Amino acid sequence: MVVKNLPGILLALAACLIPLVYGGNGYIMGLMVSGLIVAGVALAWALLGNLGGMVSFGHAAFFGVGAYASALLSAKAGLPVPLSLLAGGAVAALSSLAMLPALRLSGPYFALAILAYAHIFKILATELSWLTGGSAGFARFPVLPTIAGIDFSSRIGSYWLLVVMVGLCLLAYRAVKASHVGTALRAMAESEDATRVVGVNATLLKAWMLLLSAFITGLFGAMNAHIINFLEPDYAFSGTWSVLPIIAAIFGGYRTILGPVAGAVAIYLFDQLVAKAILPVGHQIILGVLLAGMILIAPNGLFGLFGKKKTGAAHAAA
Amino acid sequence: MLELSQQAIFSGLLVGSVYALVALGIALTFGAMKIINLAHGELVLLAAYMAYFIESRTGWNPYAAIPLAFAITAVVSIAVYLLIDRIKLHRELNSLILTFAIGIILTNGILLVFASDVRSTNSPVLQDALSFHTVYAMKGELTAFVVSLAVMSALWWWLKLSWYGRAVRAVSSNRDAAMLMGIDPRRVELAAFLVAGILASVAGVALFTMSVVQPALGPALTVKAFVVTVLAGVGSIPGVFCAALLLGVTEAMTVTLASSALQELVGMVLFLLVLFFMPNGLFGARARRG
Repeated sequence: MVVKNLPGILLALAACLIPLVYGGNGYIMGLMVSGLIVAGVALAWALLGNLGGMVSFGHAAFFGVGAYASALLSAKAGLPVPLSLLAGGAVAALSSLAMLPALRLSGPYFALAILAYAHIFKILATELSWLTGGSAGFARFPVLPTIAGIDFSSRIGSYWLLVVMVGLCLLAYRAVKASHVGTALRAMAESEDATRVVGVNATLLKAWMLLLSAFITGLFGAMNAHIINFLEPDYAFSGTWSVLPIIAAIFGGYRTILGPVAGAVAIYLFDQLVAKAILPVGHQIILGVLLAGMILIAPNGLFGLFGKKKTGAAHAAA
Repeated sequence: MLELSQQAIFSGLLVGSVYALVALGIALTFGAMKIINLAHGELVLLAAYMAYFIESRTGWNPYAAIPLAFAITAVVSIAVYLLIDRIKLHRELNSLILTFAIGIILTNGILLVFASDVRSTNSPVLQDALSFHTVYAMKGELTAFVVSLAVMSALWWWLKLSWYGRAVRAVSSNRDAAMLMGIDPRRVELAAFLVAGILASVAGVALFTMSVVQPALGPALTVKAFVVTVLAGVGSIPGVFCAALLLGVTEAMTVTLASSALQELVGMVLFLLVLFFMPNGLFGARARRG
């Protein structure tokens, strides 16, 4: 049991050690906080890809919707921030309902449809300026609160909150994967037609995965909004929020549960500390090369490259 | 208002012809390989920047850049094909991610070389306006329209009559049967990518002469082309052409009657309506459902 969970335990240990070592370094902690935000989205992306069998190029849509929903609800409706964070996730999940017709489309068409959706939400956020402040941005909304003496708006406070949130999402992901829903989804990945024949409503299950993925993405989008405390459409709906999680998930192995999270932190730190230092403008070119290289050389992730090469490992690995 | 609408329809038709060229490039490679090249918009953009490069360096007409643009898009297009060809596992989805990554590389490469400034043609000949009773057009727009029509006719001829074109159609409709008839599908796929490169090079140069370009334009072009193929619902050239004109006119009408910021939105809404109510597109019956 302990050996089986070893990667998870190591990751949790690393998460606890980092603030002990770098707690005084605001820059590193700031990077870690952003890395964990990307980790949450990467997890949500991988959940949709691994369990739902769908590639999404539009998770920035859910990220931005969650961010704006939480910021607006806390500022204009006076909702306490903890509740508005959850509401941000819920609104993002609601917005994914608009994408349900696209679920009937096969793989590549779905991926492109969701890319189109992301464009729509960005335009809407810019155009509905009476609500969102438009391209001028939106700043007057509350920061994360202080609860039981812990100031969650500080870097250390938000770091721990994010660690817990990512941990909870990991457990939720694992629970879904182990449930009968997960079994049905795995069967679906092998043969959708055969799964339909035995009475599994494939479209409904995919819809649930999309909803869950959108909820998690919106939740982390909302967290990021309250941490940065400033929103503008070009930032909140930036393609970066779609690109980074994809690279992170592919890099870490999107068929594993922990891979996307570890990959996200690694990729984000690499992008900020190494890629940006080499190329201040256009540093995403390095990420693009990395992504292309991963798909060509190790589509199951870097950890898959070193992992055991047993049959079925692609699906069974956790 | 009527005159404004007439003008919008006219301009929309002209720009729509270039959308058709971009969309046909995507449709061609999709037909041959069942793979959507997400980097196709960037390929078009690359050609547009070659036109900018030639014009700003030599002062020649941007159309003089077509040979250079074609040489570059052909090399990139073939490189994309060779890379996709290396993918063995989950080809459909992994190739999407791969071409998405190539798109990122091209966008940022263009950004690094040409900076993020918005560029457009300075050619006085192309910017000269012509009037037809109540509507106006820049000579650049008209030239782009004529060139697009010519290239589409050539493509039609190629697909209909040449050996390679017929082979592409054969592989599109039934890959195994085509192989049994002695067609090497890899050669055909390579030809399709090469022709898609030609289409992208002409589309890019035409786009530069009639509109503005910037490095971030690539994904928007890909999405537009995708919207056109979904609207058309069928890989035929007339179908794609009509759908592209429809998109061009709808966008131009939106800009005239509402706001230019909504231009992108209306294409998406059109796309959603077709997806909801006519999942097989306006002109076709090809199944797309999973």
